[in-house]
Amino acid sequence: MKTLSFALICFLVIALPHTMVGEETVTSNKPVLLPVKNDPTISFRIWFKVGSQNDPAGKEGLASVTAAMLSDASTEKNSYSEILEKLYPLATSYNASASTEMTVFYGRTHKDNAQQFYSLFMDAILVPAFKQEDLDRIKSQLINYIENTLRYASDEELGKAVLYNELFRETPYGHLLAGTSDGIKSITIDDVRSFYKQYYTKENLVIGLGGGYSPELLATLKKDLAKLPAGAPKPVPVAKAKNLDGLDFTIVEKDAASTAISMGFPIKALRGTKDWYALAIANSWLGEHRNSSSHLYQVIREARGLNYGDYSYIENYPNAGQRQLPPQNVSRRQQIFEIWIRPVPNETRLFALRAALREFKNLTEHGMTKNDFELTRSFLNKYVLHYAPTTMERLAYALDDRFYGLTASHLETFRKMMKTLTLSDVNASIKKHWQYGKMEIAVVTKDANGFRDALLKNAPSPIKYSTPKPESVLNEDKEIVSFPIKVKEANIRIAPVGELFVK
Amino acid sequence: MKCLFTTLIFIVLGNIAMSQSIFPYKYQVETLPNGLKVIMIPMESPGLVAYYSVVRTGSRDEVEPGKSGFAHFFEHMMFRGTKKYPGPVYDSLITNIGANANAYTTDDYTAYHLNFAKEDLERVIELESDRFQNLYYEKPDFQTEAGAVYGEYRKSITNPFSVLNEKVQDLAYDVHTYKHTTIGFEADIKAMPEQYEYSKSFFARFYRPENVVLVITGDIDTKKTMKLVTKYYSDWKKGYVKPEIVPEPPQKAERTAEISYNGKTLPIIDIAYKGDAFDPASKDYAAANLLGDLAFGETSDLYKKLVINEQKVQFISANVPVNRDAPLFEIYSMVKKLEDLNSIRDDVYKTLEEFKTKPIDEKRLSDLKKRYKYGFLMGLDTPDHVAGGLARYVAVTGGIEDVDRLYKQIDAVTPLEIMKAAQKYFTPERRTVVVLKGAQS
Repeated sequence: MKTLSFALICFLVIALPHTMVGEETVTSNKPVLLPVKNDPTISFRIWFKVGSQNDPAGKEGLASVTAAMLSDASTEKNSYSEILEKLYPLATSYNASASTEMTVFYGRTHKDNAQQFYSLFMDAILVPAFKQEDLDRIKSQLINYIENTLRYASDEELGKAVLYNELFRETPYGHLLAGTSDGIKSITIDDVRSFYKQYYTKENLVIGLGGGYSPELLATLKKDLAKLPAGAPKPVPVAKAKNLDGLDFTIVEKDAASTAISMGFPIKALRGTKDWYALAIANSWLGEHRNSSSHLYQVIREARGLNYGDYSYIENYPNAGQRQLPPQNVSRRQQIFEIWIRPVPNETRLFALRAALREFKNLTEHGMTKNDFELTRSFLNKYVLHYAPTTMERLAYALDDRFYGLTASHLETFRKMMKTLTLSDVNASIKKHWQYGKMEIAVVTKDANGFRDALLKNAPSPIKYSTPKPESVLNEDKEIVSFPIKVKEANIRIAPVGELFVK
Repeated sequence: MKCLFTTLIFIVLGNIAMSQSIFPYKYQVETLPNGLKVIMIPMESPGLVAYYSVVRTGSRDEVEPGKSGFAHFFEHMMFRGTKKYPGPVYDSLITNIGANANAYTTDDYTAYHLNFAKEDLERVIELESDRFQNLYYEKPDFQTEAGAVYGEYRKSITNPFSVLNEKVQDLAYDVHTYKHTTIGFEADIKAMPEQYEYSKSFFARFYRPENVVLVITGDIDTKKTMKLVTKYYSDWKKGYVKPEIVPEPPQKAERTAEISYNGKTLPIIDIAYKGDAFDPASKDYAAANLLGDLAFGETSDLYKKLVINEQKVQFISANVPVNRDAPLFEIYSMVKKLEDLNSIRDDVYKTLEEFKTKPIDEKRLSDLKKRYKYGFLMGLDTPDHVAGGLARYVAVTGGIEDVDRLYKQIDAVTPLEIMKAAQKYFTPERRTVVVLKGAQS
């Protein structure tokens, strides 16, 4: 046995299992606390109830820019360079996580460094400098993201962005979190100041604090954040998604060797409700994210080798290609069901689309089988254990619980539901919330006209494999190649990639 | 299991200044007679275990022409199961225990990792030991998987950085296998379906106990764990065949290239220098690590100039990696205007020249050392972060003892040694410079 000569001690501390007891609702501003005695670190998450849904028309991206003007810019006390210098030896940083409805400032520090960290973190929120040079830098980064990275460097993220934009066109959800290129270009320092004044108020925030903080720190934090101006911004009505009357296509024309496909429709179920957990089981079976247990993955990737993976979602899941487990603090009052087909060779695009639609149709018509149900709920019962291993992640989940007005922890409810839900509950929820015929479909591909024509003709999409396939796969292919796709000409739009996300 | 939601794992960082060792956990290392090394790191993480099988083979070991990308491809094949537990059965057993399981391949190693509840440890050991010893797949499955790998390539290659890396490595190396990226050349990936027989030899040569290290962290009892490992892995036969990797001869002159990206992007410049393999005993290597941050990190003068003040670049950063053989020490920057490209490049050269002649301020150096320590320790907060954070060191050195040696070496680096490292590594003869421009810019 080899033992290191100096070992630091680890502690286990049982934190409060029910942080959300009481009459908390989405409107409550009571702090969310996860004290952990003896934890040498402190985790901060300060949630402001603002996001891209609050972007004024013509200024899309303002929520994002404003958050970055706090987290990545100068304060009245320190220039941005000085802040970086001061954070450097602390081996920490603070960041902003902005999403459609939430903006969260977060950071974690060792207790040794808490005072230095805290004052820099508070300055960022309380006394941002709003300097023109910081604004120029941040705008340039966002414009580069929209005009270059998103349009050209990641077709799968592009497909997902187009899906969301189309489903929520002309609503507060109908643009990227990063905004539009015209919107960002038009943002001025005065816009940022006024947005900050309107939304960064003491009545519009929730404190999240976890780890080894002292009661004094909490008291100071409350006192400091109370220095923000008063005022509760008017709530934004829940975004109403497009009224789909069948399959609806947006084809992005792009010179690409592969085709990325994302499709979906709005759903009413939100976490906390029985239906949501029932759908979580059905969704996990159909398309558990980055997991070979996903049925779509089995059909499209495993049996046929058409791409790198195929998944489905019942909650917003940004940057899916970069993460293994669900994100936090991207809560929304309106969610969509989404299927994500990672890039397939162009010549198999229609086949892959049909394969996915056919599987989804089968599920909506026949429901889950007993075996699949049992296996999936057993999987989820333990899999959710991996969702929040750190205090920071648990704090983020607790804030999401508050967003959804949950009085019990979502993750605990999740596990309870895995034990109590029945197959008929799941199949009833599928019938209630999922339908096959009305779906928005975003396709990033080359020769968009050719694809549109094939769709309109409902032309068969024969597939040729370069390698042998089992008889069972070939038999199933016979059904897939001519699986009917009914779409009206008026429901197909073609958009050149260079024209996306401009306004 | 309910308590898992209330589980918190943390470490005491307050003592690091006095610590003899940077690594905060006690650990135990055992080796089976067949050469399989097992590193067990118990942590207070009630109920959760992370299990990494680190195969010390990556794209570096792809020595035969036409076989680039094979280590990565093989990683995919490892999920196709055995006769006892065919792929779908393996999948359903892993699904049943709710494990978070995946794998990845790098230049120097391939890692298979699972996070799961502690009561499933024996099941995981049984399944993992089975597939590492008895992998079995038919030719059609092998050929189908090649399609998925090609899909992964297609997904990645739309990113300009993938295109740039491919070129830099190809240009910088003549004979060493770092010439190709981990995912491999496109032509080789396309030809993978024809390599069924080769794949069996790949498994037979590299998936052997002497070439694999298990890293098991979390809520474990080391005695019981070792008993299980012994039970399930002892029959695994030795047989590792070391590949003949041709060393790269010293580069004699600067190499440059300009490439086009089939899309729209701001220009990107990659200035790469031939460095040294990971060596915790080397002052130069430790100093180069610090130098990358000091010269190009976010508190560096050049970062302040180019990113914050003049705003001529989207970002600039440096990378001094941990590798078994001499890798590239790289400096990247995404430049806003094409016409600034040369001046940015010259700024990088000028900065490096300054580091060769002027000693760095002591306080900046000590701030950076402090940052390294706190950063390393704060990252070790879950079993998965610990095992995952150590995987590369395990792969490169065969153990984790060198983590301590590296941090001790870093702690001892002086401003003069940083000057010396700058003089040694950042010379025109060692340099490869590639500029990528968007075709549609």
